[in-house]
Amino acid sequence: MIARIKSEITLWRVIVAVIFITGIYATYIRFFEGFRASTNLSDQMPWGLWVGLGTLCGVGLSAAGFGISAAVYLLGMERYRPILRAAILISFLGYLTVCVGYLYEIGLPWRFWHPIVMWNHRSVLFDVCVCIITYTAVLTFEFAPAVIEKLRWKPFRETVLHYHHKILIGVVLAGVLLSSMHQSYLGGLYLIASGKLHPLWYSPYMHAMFYLSAIPAGLALTVMAIYLCMRSLNVRIDFSILSDCGRMIQLLLVVFAFFKVLDLIANQAFGYAFQRTSEAGYFWLEVLLFLVIPIALLSFERVRSNPERLYWACAFVLAGFMVDRLNVSINALQTAMGAHYVPKWSELASSLLVITAGVIAFRYAVMHLDILPKAPPKPAERWLSNGGLAAQA
Amino acid sequence: MAKEKALLIDIKRCIGCLSCETACKQLHGFGASPEPTLSDTAFTVVEQRGDKFVRKLCMHCGDPACVSACPVGALGKSALGPVEYDAGKCIGCRYCMLACPYQVPRYQWTKLAPHVKKCDLCSDRVKTGKATACAEACPVQATVFGNRDELINEAWTRIRSDASYVPHIWGVEELGGGSVLFVSDVPFEGLGFKPAPTGNRPMTSLTESALGDSPKVVIMGGTVLSALYWVTQRRREVALAEAEEKAAINKIKKERS
Repeated sequence: MIARIKSEITLWRVIVAVIFITGIYATYIRFFEGFRASTNLSDQMPWGLWVGLGTLCGVGLSAAGFGISAAVYLLGMERYRPILRAAILISFLGYLTVCVGYLYEIGLPWRFWHPIVMWNHRSVLFDVCVCIITYTAVLTFEFAPAVIEKLRWKPFRETVLHYHHKILIGVVLAGVLLSSMHQSYLGGLYLIASGKLHPLWYSPYMHAMFYLSAIPAGLALTVMAIYLCMRSLNVRIDFSILSDCGRMIQLLLVVFAFFKVLDLIANQAFGYAFQRTSEAGYFWLEVLLFLVIPIALLSFERVRSNPERLYWACAFVLAGFMVDRLNVSINALQTAMGAHYVPKWSELASSLLVITAGVIAFRYAVMHLDILPKAPPKPAERWLSNGGLAAQA
Repeated sequence: MAKEKALLIDIKRCIGCLSCETACKQLHGFGASPEPTLSDTAFTVVEQRGDKFVRKLCMHCGDPACVSACPVGALGKSALGPVEYDAGKCIGCRYCMLACPYQVPRYQWTKLAPHVKKCDLCSDRVKTGKATACAEACPVQATVFGNRDELINEAWTRIRSDASYVPHIWGVEELGGGSVLFVSDVPFEGLGFKPAPTGNRPMTSLTESALGDSPKVVIMGGTVLSALYWVTQRRREVALAEAEEKAAINKIKKERS
């Protein structure tokens, strides 16, 4: 008996347990003792880690859902259909974590519904709220078949899936537009912080920069998640799909780098990168992790075609992306706002709790639903419409 | 028709007696002890810059960044001048604090049901025709309350009659102008007045262009995506028909042979 319990205790389970215990305690402090006890936020730094990590990274890393669904449904890139459901699931769970995080962030969480009925068209944050609510609904709709097809009640199942299929394309189209809009609006939030945000990040085209950087980051997270599923959950998938994703990520990073350089030139901000300031240091860290290393790594066939190497290349993209969003939301603001902000342990613990819950939900969904093909490998045709005839032709 | 009210603050006249601060605190029922910076219990403070005293308070912008930023419309600019806060609408997102170019709004960080706190230009008093508490308390008329256009005339009169004044009224045009005006006998840059990030345009112009583009982008994006979808569907249909045709021909060939 004891031996059996002992064999159940693994390193990762201990880590998850620690995250849950500290996270739940941090949540208690947040909701029963308030901001002062649970955060290091101040009048000089009204937005901190919850916005930077929870919202900006959370939404940005959920960008693969609309990217892959646009590719498969609208552009007919059937090749990516095997990873479509995984991408949608990641986005769906990502948005759920953002919605939960929103309750931590706002001071009066019981008024979370106010933006739905009290409108302010001129507010970028209002648009972000509305887009996130609607797009979460769209993702629920896109993901629903994975659950519905598991229901035992056949007539209901068939009817729902029939009508679902009929309106799917329209919903996908709306979803692509909605998520494109608010991926960029998240950057648009900072447009009004002119004079506060450091010139290395501030730009009149911040919204476009946020949009361009979110897609490769979302794809990178999807590749990483699928790799981990292959390693630990017996998922079998044609690896060349992920290799092609790697190539796509590299291309998107080059596009982002190109526009970032143009942007810095247009804003005459290049000089700031060579000053001896902490902002310049954070800027180069971001450039190195998000652009230089992954673009270099992904240009090697040896990296793209090796699962583990591709995983690590994507890990750099992920880390670099997070540095970028935390730079915008925290580091680039501190000097002008006269703040010195280091997140409190409880801010990190509650963020980790929400993220870990999302990861665990992903794991169980992959285990129990048809998200990714599992060994023994099923015939590829299963994932194609028309019995694969169209793809063969 | 109610006229827009304003405050005129004369840095040359201010003697740093803190009467305005105290009057403000008394009106709101806060403790009397002065605070070094704005807080959720100090809506105005008098800062010392060299031998000068500069009041800090909400500038009550004409087209305020905070009003445009608030997702639920809890902040609003009234016709009388004050930028007012509706605590019943606020969700506590604190975007107003990020948006404000003067870093004025403060938050009740210690409370379990926190609200945003800032000067409201004594909105309730102004509605009944009274002056703000700070203007009423000022012993040397360094802060005066009145109709905005009359105060601008008054400011120019003070500037013209005394050559030591800087010939500029700060707040008439900066960031589109507001309901708090300053005159001074030393240059404003030396008093902690930062250059306005958008010059004489309101801060809201920064987001308006981005938000204004979105309908266009949505319509264009929607059209392009629909067109692409139509093309890929059509290609798939053609490919499918061709494949079926081929299969049929092969079948016939097989039967013949």
